[in-house]
Amino acid sequence: MLTHCRSGHHPPSFGGDLQQTFPFTAIVGQDDLKLAVLLSVIDPAIGGVLITGHRGTAKSTAIRALADLLPPVKVVAGCPYRCDPTERSPDCPHCSNHATLKSQTHPVPVIDLPLGATEDRVVGSVDLERALVDGVQAFSPGLLAAAHRGFLYIDEVNLLEDHLVDLLLDVAASGRNVVEREGLSVRHPARFVLIGSGNPEEGDLRPQLLDRFGLHARIKTLHDIDQRVEVVRRRLAFENDAAAFIASFDKEQNVLRKRLQKAINAKPKVTLPDSALMLAARLCDRLGIDGHRGELALTRAAVALAAYEGKKSADTDLVARVAPLALAHRLRKDPLEPAADDERVKRVLEEALG
Amino acid sequence: MPIGGLVALDVPRLALMMLAVDPGLRGIALAAPAGGGKSALLQGMRELQPDLPWVELPLGCDSEALLGGLDLEATLNQGRRVIRAGALARAHGGFLLAESCNLMDDGSANSLLGALEDGVVRIEREGLSLRSPAEFRLLTSFDPAEGAPRAHLLDRLGMVVMMPTIRASEARASIVRRHLQPDTENWRDEAQLLRGLIESAREQLPLIKLSDSQRRELIRMADALGVQGHRADLFAIRVARASAALGLRDEVQREDLELAARLVLLPRATRHPDTTQSAPPPEPPAADSSPPPESNDETEPDADSVPSEDQLELAEEVLESLAVDLPDALSSLSFARQRSGRSGSRGTTSGQRGRHVSSVPGLPRGQRLDVIATLRAAARWQRVRTRRRHGIALTSDDFRVKKYRSKAGALFIFAVDASGSMALNRMRQAKGAVHALLEQAYVNRDRVALLAFRGHEANLLLPPTGSVELLRRAVDQLPTGGGTPIAASLVASLEVADQAKRRGFGNIVLVLLTDGRANVGLKTDRAGVDTEVKQLARAVAATGIRSLVIDTQRSFLSQGNATQLAHALAGDYLYLPNAQGTAIAAAARQVASA
Repeated sequence: MLTHCRSGHHPPSFGGDLQQTFPFTAIVGQDDLKLAVLLSVIDPAIGGVLITGHRGTAKSTAIRALADLLPPVKVVAGCPYRCDPTERSPDCPHCSNHATLKSQTHPVPVIDLPLGATEDRVVGSVDLERALVDGVQAFSPGLLAAAHRGFLYIDEVNLLEDHLVDLLLDVAASGRNVVEREGLSVRHPARFVLIGSGNPEEGDLRPQLLDRFGLHARIKTLHDIDQRVEVVRRRLAFENDAAAFIASFDKEQNVLRKRLQKAINAKPKVTLPDSALMLAARLCDRLGIDGHRGELALTRAAVALAAYEGKKSADTDLVARVAPLALAHRLRKDPLEPAADDERVKRVLEEALG
Repeated sequence: MPIGGLVALDVPRLALMMLAVDPGLRGIALAAPAGGGKSALLQGMRELQPDLPWVELPLGCDSEALLGGLDLEATLNQGRRVIRAGALARAHGGFLLAESCNLMDDGSANSLLGALEDGVVRIEREGLSLRSPAEFRLLTSFDPAEGAPRAHLLDRLGMVVMMPTIRASEARASIVRRHLQPDTENWRDEAQLLRGLIESAREQLPLIKLSDSQRRELIRMADALGVQGHRADLFAIRVARASAALGLRDEVQREDLELAARLVLLPRATRHPDTTQSAPPPEPPAADSSPPPESNDETEPDADSVPSEDQLELAEEVLESLAVDLPDALSSLSFARQRSGRSGSRGTTSGQRGRHVSSVPGLPRGQRLDVIATLRAAARWQRVRTRRRHGIALTSDDFRVKKYRSKAGALFIFAVDASGSMALNRMRQAKGAVHALLEQAYVNRDRVALLAFRGHEANLLLPPTGSVELLRRAVDQLPTGGGTPIAASLVASLEVADQAKRRGFGNIVLVLLTDGRANVGLKTDRAGVDTEVKQLARAVAATGIRSLVIDTQRSFLSQGNATQLAHALAGDYLYLPNAQGTAIAAAARQVASA
């Protein structure tokens, strides 16, 4: 029971109903952002999306809108971590203790990690109430558990506390969360697509974390007056009557939902020709990108794009289209290089193709 | 002081009334020097809206006070979690007054930002996971002399109001008179009148007509002023309508648009509008690649959307009428300066300030008890300890106290001599050094500022930041040549250092790249330059700033000017005419850790 509930008091409303989210398909422009997010829905293995750009450019709106688009998944009935019934996880305390697993469908979680979060809520900790009332040492799962098989969204990710970043890096690399604290010893699976957004002017992202993100979408303020007018028009319509506005985008949302489901089903059958693989390798080599995460994210994104566009094979043109998204953030920073990172990728791309 | 009794504050007062009319404006920030009547004015909202919740936030309150947390007494008494609502949740439906938002610590500012954005407080801390509604309107203020607030915060507020400095002696006299005999019947009546006006304006608001071309006009102005993002477009439209509603009109007129531009767009300007005739400037020049299709009609509006002549004139006229105030806005607010608001923390975990990072066993004497951690520690023993009828059996072993980490990063101020023929070389060195320092900024939580001096003045190119991104943009075209105003650079460095100190930076290092041959004074002629520089240098040393002078005089002609400067600064001297940036960075770091 929250002590601040005031019955009988009706504050003036801000307009938009906070329980309702702005539809993804109603977002004007920002194509890079939308594409990057959709590709990571089609293939979570791409490794998450980082969105950076100007203030007030629909970064968090787009992510909050995502939940409504995600096709539901099959989960193990009764499993607190919503494991995949087709793939028994050795890390799951529930599934490894049950001989037969029943399945049910469940929506994909999109979990918010607010900046002020403390470590115990992120990794999970002792269930305080049960401990105090019953004297039982029970584990109360945290946000990492809640995000398993879904999306973990951090707004202003560049401002996240260092010790939380360390923790995220660790879990993102291993796919499981190990808790050893206050007499508890728990491990559980925690695989999630990390989505971060922020404004680089407020501070840069730690390089290790930057490298973790599969795709990086940079967004800018729209300069086209017509587009801006449309942004404002839609926003005002949403704030005036959210339900009616959302209903007016039902059709578009449905079309996109079906298209995503189709792409997810088609993805395993998409082929990646040698020419595309060679192009990816050549790009990473010429751009001097360390490690192989770049190639992997690039080719996976190209395959996902092929699935999204109903193509059977991820050809070089698709690799070229997603290259700036997958590679620009992996370049070494050079203060004397005047061109922006994505310009450099485009330049090398032209050389490699030409 | 009754709100009716405040003299000569018409625009700020109008802004407050608009906020009362339209909660969608989210908040207001008043910029004024100390004693400019900010508090009195903000408090006036209480009179305008006496029935709504009102929460005042003390400066320096911690995240728990903002977000809420566990009610210690009730929790221990009842043996179950009892939650106490934080300031953000308590302000739901009403107003949150938080003065000096520029001095707010980053943790609190982040919580505030999140709630302003979503109208919800999300709490994921100390065993609690809950969300509660927090649709409040923020009333805040800042003194520009103490540094600008984070652009992120200002961006989420509808209006930023620069309070007029009241010069006319008559008005000043009348302020004093009113303070000496407040609470006259007249002003009470006036407050009532204003309440009535707000009430009818709120009814009028949904009926206000704003034409498509007026909407375009506002957005065009926003674009011309280089306003980032799309929140401002919406706020401008809301202000125009609220202004018309308060004027008891049913359609938006030119004065409403002008007010919207003044209160919403102008404070967010990042450039002067007349520079926009060519392409938007911050973009790097596109390579010879073909332009992407979505940016086709940036400069050439197609036939349908060509605005009529008089509309175009309107936008220009409005911008022109605001032009007087623009330089002020550009220089005193954070939008154009792209100040990096983040100041981090490193190494030293000490003190009772800063951010709570962990909790360790210990007795809460003079330290703050971490209730949750203490309860957790006690929880596992509850079965074996004899329990009282209510509550929990605690022993002193259970107590956990909070450890804090406070800001302890160093600030490096690079002052680069941009005069003379070696200016470009020095700039390259400085840029390399700044970059090398920023690469380590994550580990050390350091910040770097960069200023260049030439002719008669010093310019702050890069306010204290941890961002490589900003560095790249800051130093693209730098005019060089002219005189060497070392005095001006010292004054500018002192200003930067002063602001940083208020934000908790204790370790400040000034790195001067120069040949040391000052020849332009601040208040003196050529002859007095050296004395002036020495005086200022001693002032710098007296404030505890540590200095490093990098002598860039290439030949053996050096007359030891740079050595003397280093001496006056009580700092180190290095002769590094051709050094790599990394070498300079290493030297600077050594000074910082000495």
